[in-house]
Amino acid sequence: MALNENEKINEIDVNELDCRDTKTFWEKFGNIFRSKSLWMLHYCTGCGAIELPPTMTSRFDMERFGMGPMATPRQADVLLITGYLSVKTLRRVIYTYEQMQTPKYVVGFGSCTLNGGIYYDSYAVISRLDYYLPVDLYIAGCMPRPEAVMNGFRTLLDMINKGDAQGWKRYLKYNDWYKRNQIRALGEVYVKDEFHE
Amino acid sequence: MNSMNDIINDLKNKFNPINFDIVSEKQFAIDVENEELQSILAYLKAQGWKQLTLLTCIDWIKENKFQLVYIIYNWDNPITINVRTKIDRDNPKFRTITSIYPGAEYYERDVHEFFGVEFEGNEKSKKPLFLELWDDIPPLRKDFDPLAYSKKKFDVRDYKVDFIPKEGEAE
Repeated sequence: MALNENEKINEIDVNELDCRDTKTFWEKFGNIFRSKSLWMLHYCTGCGAIELPPTMTSRFDMERFGMGPMATPRQADVLLITGYLSVKTLRRVIYTYEQMQTPKYVVGFGSCTLNGGIYYDSYAVISRLDYYLPVDLYIAGCMPRPEAVMNGFRTLLDMINKGDAQGWKRYLKYNDWYKRNQIRALGEVYVKDEFHE
Repeated sequence: MNSMNDIINDLKNKFNPINFDIVSEKQFAIDVENEELQSILAYLKAQGWKQLTLLTCIDWIKENKFQLVYIIYNWDNPITINVRTKIDRDNPKFRTITSIYPGAEYYERDVHEFFGVEFEGNEKSKKPLFLELWDDIPPLRKDFDPLAYSKKKFDVRDYKVDFIPKEGEAE
């Protein structure tokens, strides 16, 4: 039975015959479903995390997009970096990011992840995040309002749906470059934790 | 001996402090010689100042001195005392106070890491606490340049300057 005009899936036309399109049918199919169910790991490094409770709870209700919080990296799809990243934290964030299963997406919050923000001259805070991790989407602001956060998530969902959020593939392809930048800033990417030694 | 003046007079009689500063109604600062610091802290602890609230350091680069500040607090008689002493900046060494206040161990590690002051008698004071794999002079010294370090160590974003103000527009 054929679908009516207004019953069609409107996100993407999975049957379009485009010879230049390199995505397979199942990739497109997967992208649609990925964008419908996202678990986000909020690694709350800075002040941006304060915008997440109103975004998650009843007033703005993030869950209507199909996004929910997740406590563990291995079950999460989205990694939120909410604010400044110190050298010490960056080491843990890289650990966390590498534990996540592909496909995985990174969202940078606020001006600190873009250019260091007010910590541009700090000895302990990195100046830009995308030299160390592949950032799919930046939400600018200091701090972004919940409306901006919602708009950013909406954009991320569209990017995943269209298959544009390819950060995790970039991380695999240019791993040497990312590792070189990480080691330049950190010395070595190894978590030293005296309480567990 | 409850009011602040009584305590100050008592300390004047028993020790040879250099200077007193009244900070506020319930807080005063006392400057002492290096040799007297241990005994004055031990005396005040016996008098009830049982909590070491903070041990920190101030860099007086023009005098070429580090000032160590020990902030202690008494829970029965709520007066805060800042005991301060100045040490040589070129050879920053001082004796530990972990025998009086065992909790000073972590503060001494902190001060060693951020100012480079060595605490003799505290075995663990040279262990890194906050900075991992630090490779420069201690970062809270006044002669450390954080911007130059940041530029050397971390990549910065380059911006294209393509905004050309038109006539009448503010730059």
